[in-house]
Amino acid sequence: MISSDTQEESNLAQGNGLAIINSKAPFSSDFGKDALDVALIFGSFEQKISLFFQGDGVYQLIAKQDGTLVSIKDYLKTFSAFEFYDIEDIYVCQQSLVNRQLDETFHIENVNVLASVEFGLALNRHQHVLRF
Amino acid sequence: MSTLHLVRKSAFTTNDFAQCLSVLDQQDAIVLMDDGCYNLKHPLMDSLIKRANSTVSINVIANHAQARAIETLAAVNKIKMNDVVDLTFNHQKVITWQ
Repeated sequence: MISSDTQEESNLAQGNGLAIINSKAPFSSDFGKDALDVALIFGSFEQKISLFFQGDGVYQLIAKQDGTLVSIKDYLKTFSAFEFYDIEDIYVCQQSLVNRQLDETFHIENVNVLASVEFGLALNRHQHVLRF
Repeated sequence: MSTLHLVRKSAFTTNDFAQCLSVLDQQDAIVLMDDGCYNLKHPLMDSLIKRANSTVSINVIANHAQARAIETLAAVNKIKMNDVVDLTFNHQKVITWQ
């Protein structure tokens, strides 16, 4: 019994895995691509991972983008592989969308749009955070 | 003395576009390129367009905006990168905001 209790405690202490915050627009820097690489590496080692999109990072999710028009290999298309890496917790800051006059049309499915407070709560459930 | 302003950053993350507008003169021209295209949807752009009897020419690099899925506005000229070469010759100075 004691061992199972400690097991449970250690699970709680682990929190909810890793959170990655994306805060940069997709084409003018490598941050978005780097964040994607980290997410897929953690995913392939079956580590629990959540993705957060905030500020200009929300532009990474907008539909109908085409990086080839500015001679950039379009890494955004790889986002559709998230489900194969069991990356299912994807959160977007609603206020960031509203500020940028963007509607909730994304190029991937199963995106959770959260108001600022809920967005903060979801992030704070995680033990580790990386921001790009 | 007219100036060509090349705006390359999103006003949602940097203050560059606001600083550009604060020094803008009547006969100047603005080109939105790279992440500057996002400024088409920024409140500062509305105020720029509504600015009374403005003679400022506002341009955007069409494929930069299209790549980002940002719709252009009727008040903003869609241009190509090689049109920027002509613009640099038509103005005495160039300021890049980045």
